[in-house]
Amino acid sequence: MRILVVDDFSTMRRIVKNLLADLGFTNTAEAEDGGAAFTMLKQGGFDFVVTDWNMPGVTGIELLRMIRADDKLKALPVLMVTAEAKREQIIEAAQAGVNGYIIKPFTAATLKEKLDKIFERLGSAA
Amino acid sequence: MSDPARNAEIASHLRAALAAIGHADDATLKAELRAIVQWQEAPLLAGLAKLSQQLGEALGELPVVDAAVGELPDACARLDHVVAMTEQATHRTLDLVEASQALMEQLAAPGADREALLRDLRGHLSEMALAQSYQDLSGQIIRKVAGIVRGVHDQLAAIGLPPGAAPRAADPRAASGPAVAGVDRPAASQQDADDLLSHLGL
Repeated sequence: MRILVVDDFSTMRRIVKNLLADLGFTNTAEAEDGGAAFTMLKQGGFDFVVTDWNMPGVTGIELLRMIRADDKLKALPVLMVTAEAKREQIIEAAQAGVNGYIIKPFTAATLKEKLDKIFERLGSAA
Repeated sequence: MSDPARNAEIASHLRAALAAIGHADDATLKAELRAIVQWQEAPLLAGLAKLSQQLGEALGELPVVDAAVGELPDACARLDHVVAMTEQATHRTLDLVEASQALMEQLAAPGADREALLRDLRGHLSEMALAQSYQDLSGQIIRKVAGIVRGVHDQLAAIGLPPGAAPRAADPRAASGPAVAGVDRPAASQQDADDLLSHLGL
């Protein structure tokens, strides 16, 4: 399982990577905005995306739409981890096809719970 | 000038004027009448002087606003410094956390030098505590910037340029960063988000 962590803050990328490693996901890579992330995803090899919403350049919601609009990437699970917490935004992310939504600040338990839920759904869908 | 003193002065001008009429002294009569007219005009002149002084002061205050506004780029540089400093402190803390995790794994291994490993762990913990001192420094800088922003706001209000109500984001879906209690609309909690998504079938 190779996971791409997308956030404009290097500290948050590192925190998410550490939490993922604690959960057994040690194969991770980082991108600092949606544009860089999409380029990396297009090269292939990723199974999961954890992305922030508010980033300079291509935002997380734009990245999500780009992934869903791409024939090769559209089935890629995307977990949004963001400080954006308006009802309208959560609905927008759901409509754009997000697989999970975590509001910052978050706990390790929340991250584990959402990942488990996404894998459970993907497993039952497959 | 008190009233009795003023009355005495007017009376003296009037007496002098009457005497000048009696002596057919036109020049003195005119001078005395002029003095009386000047007394009558004094409050008006004083009012005009005050008004012009206030106007001058108001105009004189304009460059002060420029000075406060001039502090804004400085305020931005200070905030950029806070971002860099907090980032550095967080990386330092994460370095120590990762190093401590490695030490703990060594501690669990058979034949580990427990004493040396525990000493290193203690050292890492105290360095982690020390790394949190960025909060004091960044807190001071942020307070200073808040002071500059307040100053600019007050100066603008003083010259009658009160900023209108903060423009609310026209699109509630636009990214706006973390919601601040008491300033922004209350944000959804993780539970709210979970309920909403489950309602939407996620």
